[in-house]
Amino acid sequence: MKPQKRLLTQDDMDIWSHSETFNNLISFLSGLAESVKGLENNEYQKPTGSSIESCCQLLEEVASLAEQYPVKQDAETSRFGKVEFRYFYDDLKSKSQGLIQRAFDALDGTQCEELSVYFAESWGDRSRIDYGSGHELNFLCFLYGLKEFGVFKEPADYRNMVLKLFIKYLGVMRTLETKYWLEPAGSHGVWGLDDYHFLPFLFGAFQLSTHKHLKPKSIHNSEVVEMFGKRYLYFGCIDFINKVKTTASLRWHSPMLDDISGVKTWAKVAEGMIKMYKAEVLNKLPIMQHFFFGSFLQCPEGISPPGTHAESHQHCSHSPLENTWGDCCGIRVPSAVAATESQKAGPKRIPFD
Amino acid sequence: MEIDSDVPMQDATEETLDPTLDEDALSKAQEGPGSSGIADHKASKPLQLDSGNIGQLDQWIEHLGKCQVLSEDDVSRLCKMAVDVLQFEENVQPVNVPVTICGDVHGQFHDLIELFKIGGPCPDTNYLFMGDYVDRGYYSVETVSYLVAMKVRYPKRITILRGNHESRQITQVYGFYDECLRKYGSANVWKMFTDLFDYFPITALVDNKVFCLHGGLSPMIETIDQVRELNRIQEVPHEGPMCDLLWSDPDDRGGWGISPRGAGFTFGQDISEQFNHTNDLSLIARAHQLVMEGYAWSHQQSVVTIFSAPNYCYRCGNQAAIMEMDENHNRQFLQYDPSMRPGEPTVSRKTPDYFL
Repeated sequence: MKPQKRLLTQDDMDIWSHSETFNNLISFLSGLAESVKGLENNEYQKPTGSSIESCCQLLEEVASLAEQYPVKQDAETSRFGKVEFRYFYDDLKSKSQGLIQRAFDALDGTQCEELSVYFAESWGDRSRIDYGSGHELNFLCFLYGLKEFGVFKEPADYRNMVLKLFIKYLGVMRTLETKYWLEPAGSHGVWGLDDYHFLPFLFGAFQLSTHKHLKPKSIHNSEVVEMFGKRYLYFGCIDFINKVKTTASLRWHSPMLDDISGVKTWAKVAEGMIKMYKAEVLNKLPIMQHFFFGSFLQCPEGISPPGTHAESHQHCSHSPLENTWGDCCGIRVPSAVAATESQKAGPKRIPFD
Repeated sequence: MEIDSDVPMQDATEETLDPTLDEDALSKAQEGPGSSGIADHKASKPLQLDSGNIGQLDQWIEHLGKCQVLSEDDVSRLCKMAVDVLQFEENVQPVNVPVTICGDVHGQFHDLIELFKIGGPCPDTNYLFMGDYVDRGYYSVETVSYLVAMKVRYPKRITILRGNHESRQITQVYGFYDECLRKYGSANVWKMFTDLFDYFPITALVDNKVFCLHGGLSPMIETIDQVRELNRIQEVPHEGPMCDLLWSDPDDRGGWGISPRGAGFTFGQDISEQFNHTNDLSLIARAHQLVMEGYAWSHQQSVVTIFSAPNYCYRCGNQAAIMEMDENHNRQFLQYDPSMRPGEPTVSRKTPDYFL
């Protein structure tokens, strides 16, 4: 079943947030989070298990693919993001299904095809050269699909899905973000949790939720951040932010993290992260309008039928370096009449900036 | 080892943010333009400055210049005055040279102050800002309050156009709404400013030669007169000419293209040249895109992009720029780097609802 985008209106969102699919996804996320309570990054389950190993290799292949597309310093571009990201993305997308099939030979072609949609979406947006929590959500859905298809076992594989797979994925994303200058998709700027990610904060808070000494306000202590950055996802995120953000301290560039640092316990932070993820990611139309429904993430009854989007048109892959904007099939809009015609009826997606 | 932070911090107050955050925003948005009441008693002629309101404005400007927010009541007074200035401006606001043209600011207040140091203080220097005062930065409220106060105080010396972020829908996604809630505890100030944004002019014409706007051209607009015919006093629409003017981008490729942003279009050199020819223009000046040097030419100098938020979002490493135009239409770009943030923010921590 080829996954489709379906959420378009606030009414759709109301149905979605009360649906079984929504609840299933949240239970999955909570299950993953609970499984790493009190654990450090390297306290994964040994032996790791063959499915986890295969998936690790799959993520490894994404990393090596990116190495094949270095950034040319002199490439002409009118975008901030580096256009070579598109070479990488196109290559990855075309190989996704095959790579998934090779990693998990128990899956059939249809299953691999469906998973490949979520997998390809996990690395950012080709045309805008950006990345955000919506893309990260696709990776969560990819893991969820693998669980639903029986590749991963609940709860036996959960811990390693976070401590091996998610951490690996995060590592690859960090490389892509810095190498290709990915723009933060739909960023709230200083008023968001982070430019790119949500889940490492969520998993990270669960890791720390039973810690005897480290407190949420420890994020302001640079020695602590340095020392624990590699051991806990939350401190790793703070460390990354401190390295990437310049000309101001954390209280300026990340007031949300600063606010959260005032919470008394990590357990409270962990609990809040789940609530916040529901509200700020899963219940936000600007993110969820790009969410795919398929066989393992069933579209709830009553949601706008597929094809009602005044879709800005699916992207074709021309040479990514030809230009950096609107490189979709060279569609020309020669006149005001054509421009009006091109605006199909029906609700429009909230635009990006 | 000492685990506790050595950074002095007060405990988070138990003050809650508006608990019905989204429903509130939604219902307020659904109340439609004007529900803040700032435009309920519009004057029939432009605001007259007298010693009374000049004193008031100067006091606000001094206060805002120190990067301190106005009270909610003062924001309401300021916005009411601003409506009576902005409602009389045109869709294509005429501007004389000399003037200094600026791009996106996005709540980077300290960099705005740096801009005025580099370009010269207002009102000694005339300024034209091409939109995007709010969202993403820490000080959108202070930035937009300051610019609006300057506009009301020196209406002939400063022009403030509307950017795609001066919109109810976009500010609910990209930070200004969150910031207003955070700093005022309610959405009232957000409501007032977004109601005021409807009155901002959408383009300016410098000496009949340089067409200035936030985004770019629209396939539905061939002449500047067609811009004059638009009804701009409304929320930025999802499509159509007004939307395009605030959302479009120039592109390396000819003709019109679909924008990856999902709003507006991309336009090529042929389009820019035709537009400049038809309207007897020498240049289109616009903002809307981050450019590493702070300004960037495109379409063989028929379009220039100006971006005035240095090190955008504290991480992009870009320079900012402004463009000076003198009496003889000579252009000069002034670039500047981010100003260091002094000390720590004065706002006290508030625990977000989710974590209470």
